[in-house]
Amino acid sequence: MKNEPFANITGTLLMTAFLIVTLAFAVEGTFETRTQLANTFAREAQIQQAQMQLEELLRLQIDEENSLRGYLLTRDPFYVAQYRQAVAGYDNTQRAIKRVLRDEQLLAARDQLHQYGLLQSKWRTEVAGPLLRHPRRRLVELDKRNKLFADYETRAVAAIRETLAGTDAAFVRSTQSQVNRAAYVRAFWVLVFGLLAVLFNVYRSRLNRELEEERTITEILQRAFRSESIPLPHCEVGSAYRSATNHVAVGGDVFDVYRLSGTHALILIADISGKGVDAAVLTAFIKFMIRSIALRESDPAAILAEFNTAFSKAVGNPYLFVSMFVGVLDTASFRLEFGSAGHDAVFLRRRNGVEQLAVTGPVLGVMEEPFYSETIDLDPGDTLVLTTDGLTEVRNREGKPLSGTGAMELIERGPVHAQPLADDLVAAARSRGGTRLRDDLAVLTIRLMDAQRVDV
Amino acid sequence: MYKLGLALAVAFAACAQVASADCRGHRGDRVVLYSTTDDPAVLVWDSRARLREYHAATFDAAQAMLPHAILVGPGTHATVVTCVSNYVESPVFHHPDDAVGVLLLAGPQRGLTRWVLGSDVRLVQAPRP
Repeated sequence: MKNEPFANITGTLLMTAFLIVTLAFAVEGTFETRTQLANTFAREAQIQQAQMQLEELLRLQIDEENSLRGYLLTRDPFYVAQYRQAVAGYDNTQRAIKRVLRDEQLLAARDQLHQYGLLQSKWRTEVAGPLLRHPRRRLVELDKRNKLFADYETRAVAAIRETLAGTDAAFVRSTQSQVNRAAYVRAFWVLVFGLLAVLFNVYRSRLNRELEEERTITEILQRAFRSESIPLPHCEVGSAYRSATNHVAVGGDVFDVYRLSGTHALILIADISGKGVDAAVLTAFIKFMIRSIALRESDPAAILAEFNTAFSKAVGNPYLFVSMFVGVLDTASFRLEFGSAGHDAVFLRRRNGVEQLAVTGPVLGVMEEPFYSETIDLDPGDTLVLTTDGLTEVRNREGKPLSGTGAMELIERGPVHAQPLADDLVAAARSRGGTRLRDDLAVLTIRLMDAQRVDV
Repeated sequence: MYKLGLALAVAFAACAQVASADCRGHRGDRVVLYSTTDDPAVLVWDSRARLREYHAATFDAAQAMLPHAILVGPGTHATVVTCVSNYVESPVFHHPDDAVGVLLLAGPQRGLTRWVLGSDVRLVQAPRP
């Protein structure tokens, strides 16, 4: 039982971690795909640029030939200048394409371009050069050679064009493949994420169901363990309880008012170290054990001593201890005999102010020490206010505890009647500590009344 | 002997029919010559074998074959004498091209019969009566 909350928290944290890791993988995968696609698009753009430059190269080659033809027909030097300009443009463009082919490691296309360049260079030497030098000597054999160059250059360009188109198509296929893969991977991660989310939901539902079951059990326990408002002669009894455990309305605080006889009543309030269901179960042990001892022993010190022995043997947990106030109230004489085992949050409101009742022994479950009892005579109108440290140690936003003095001030200006006073103290504690208390808080108030005004 | 000769003649005629079924030109078609390479002039070859070799050869080998070709200007008129479909293959052709035997009708080489590539041949539409 003790390990369950830890296991639940660990499980929730693990599931959350899985979800976060899955999400991180999905996001990382998306970024990786984006990078890959960007890289592919960049390379594809390079290839397309090379394709356009190749067409430009072909245009420059034709410019060279047309300029030569223009010069042969007109002998106008303008065409020679145009020819030289086309030659320079051709060489620059060819170098640019070579760079792209080298970067993309398209060795076959690079060789084809090299061959194309050699043919063009040879054409300039063997065809264009002689014609520029001797424009009148236009020989048939030279024309045939020109045709030969034209045919082979056309072939070379076609081969390069095909290689580049093939590479471009390969990039398109690669891009498509990457997009498909990215879609599949994303779908996979969405599926994983969705499955984890469903598992997480199932897990949470299971936890909620367990919590609900626990709540039901504890509510049953609560009804069984908590004292009902038992009417006492000449007394007005009020009580309030607030558990520090968020979802469970029971905890480690217990109070009890039990009529031992027609005139005597047992008054008990105790605070067990710890909170929650485990502590709540112990409250039953305490409550009924104190009742059974009190039926035999009327001295509160003896009750505490006997309980201390029994508790140490029964529980056997050195880290578990109990602070307890036990009082036996004579409702006829208004005499209160009490013993306080380390429980200092018991107050008495009288006409002239509020006082804190003394501690008469150490907390229970720690050591075998003697306990003492004290006796005080009460007056009608006096109110006993028994609380646990959930009131005195409640902290404000600055972290300052209320303390016994602060509690006495609250009690002094609180409502006259028992139940409104108990409710008021719990409300004040909640107001000071925020909506959630850090410790259980139990309040038992007993106001002594005039004998004629009380129905028993 | 007579029967064998007849059978061979029939077989040859059938083969020739099949060979020229989907050719660029048929016997008697009027055509003009025009090249689709950068230089629109057309090389016409003295044999269809050299035509095929030229398109499959390396540059140097092709250059060595040039004396067997004559260059005719673009637009030279000719008549189709024969056609052999898918005869010329080249590393750069996606499909084999036809070898077309033509009779040149114009220019200094008028009256010569030579071989040209199918893609260098353009049919001349006969005017309607």
